[in-house]
Amino acid sequence: MTENHEAIEELLAGYVLRSLSGEDASRADQVLSDHVPTCAACRDTLAVFQGVTADLALGAAPIEPPETLLPRLHRDLGPQGVRRRSMTALAVAASVIAVVGLVGLSVTQGAHLNSTQNSLNDISAALDLAGKPGASMASVDAATSDTEPLTEISDPGVQEFYLFGRDLPSPPTGTVYRIWLVSGSTPTFVTDFTPDPGLTLIKMAFDPSRYDEILISIEREGSDPGEPSNAIWEAAS
Amino acid sequence: MHEADRDDLELHRRLAAGDRDAFDELYRRYASSAYGLAYRLTGQQILAQDVVHDAFLALWRAPEAFDPARGLFRTFFLSLVHHRAVDTVRREERLRKRTERAANLEPLTGEDVAEGVVGEAFLGIRRKEVRDALTTLPAEQRQVLEMAYFQGYTQAAIAEELAIPIGTVKTRTLAAMRKLRRALYRED
Repeated sequence: MTENHEAIEELLAGYVLRSLSGEDASRADQVLSDHVPTCAACRDTLAVFQGVTADLALGAAPIEPPETLLPRLHRDLGPQGVRRRSMTALAVAASVIAVVGLVGLSVTQGAHLNSTQNSLNDISAALDLAGKPGASMASVDAATSDTEPLTEISDPGVQEFYLFGRDLPSPPTGTVYRIWLVSGSTPTFVTDFTPDPGLTLIKMAFDPSRYDEILISIEREGSDPGEPSNAIWEAAS
Repeated sequence: MHEADRDDLELHRRLAAGDRDAFDELYRRYASSAYGLAYRLTGQQILAQDVVHDAFLALWRAPEAFDPARGLFRTFFLSLVHHRAVDTVRREERLRKRTERAANLEPLTGEDVAEGVVGEAFLGIRRKEVRDALTTLPAEQRQVLEMAYFQGYTQAAIAEELAIPIGTVKTRTLAAMRKLRRALYRED
């Protein structure tokens, strides 16, 4: 095993325990998307480590839950034989579908979508994520009242999340919006973006639940990502 | 695959078809393990109930989230519970400052609960294997593992809490995971 794989195993061990943060979490995201899918040894290690962590659950003493829990679940399951989707997921899906409609209009009007197909693929993937049982939609609020909030679509444990917003103001000339995920006091650079007219949808290969906060700042275009300056949008992750 | 794991697959298949009895049976099999884990992490009954409730409800509403080709149902479901419990703990960070710890924080030398039926009996056997495996870990490895898994600490927070380099936390974590892998999966 190479030193590189030793480092990757360290990351995978921390990842399955959900104990990574900051730069390590970012590196794990990259390893999981770039290396693991192509490496049989790492796929095997990841699978076994996931099994180990699941077994660790049995290290906690079992406790009978309160007797009220199963009746509460029965109430929430809905009528016999009818499976309802999560209302949260439905709400998320409805919002994204509304955005799809907006994109259709933008495409018709010749808006500046770099790649219509790629954008539609991203929207399709956002819809898939939104339909998952643990998916949620959260507002990323703007620092000033005259700027619309962004919306975050995520699902804890899933290595991607989406931000979308409408009619976002352009940053000043020579600057870009810069997205950060913050763990404790450590910011992790995610990506830069400039908004499209109408809809802006940004896909990111991170699990935001492993961070404390999402923050978007305005930075000089092409500058090295060091520390975020003023926050334009921010929210607990 | 153990008989109980095969039974889980059949129960999941029935649950996916809308069978409430299968849901109840999976609840009976895993509720106490799930609640024990969630309570140990959150230290609060209300939060633990919410974690277990949400996990079972997610299973019912989207059973396709479990892919039998990717592993055991038990692995999937208890991981789901753990993820939700960790997320809850981190969102309720103030709760981490609680002075009273949950009563089951020292389970490794504790009792084995009676687990009579087939599925639960298997869980009881596996539970003993896990506890035995944990007791073979050097104390410093077990400490970082328990802080990460059972208390929801990040590696950075563990390093800060124990006043050791984060590299040491990573090394101990990996060593612990490898030892558990060998012990629980009978690898050389």
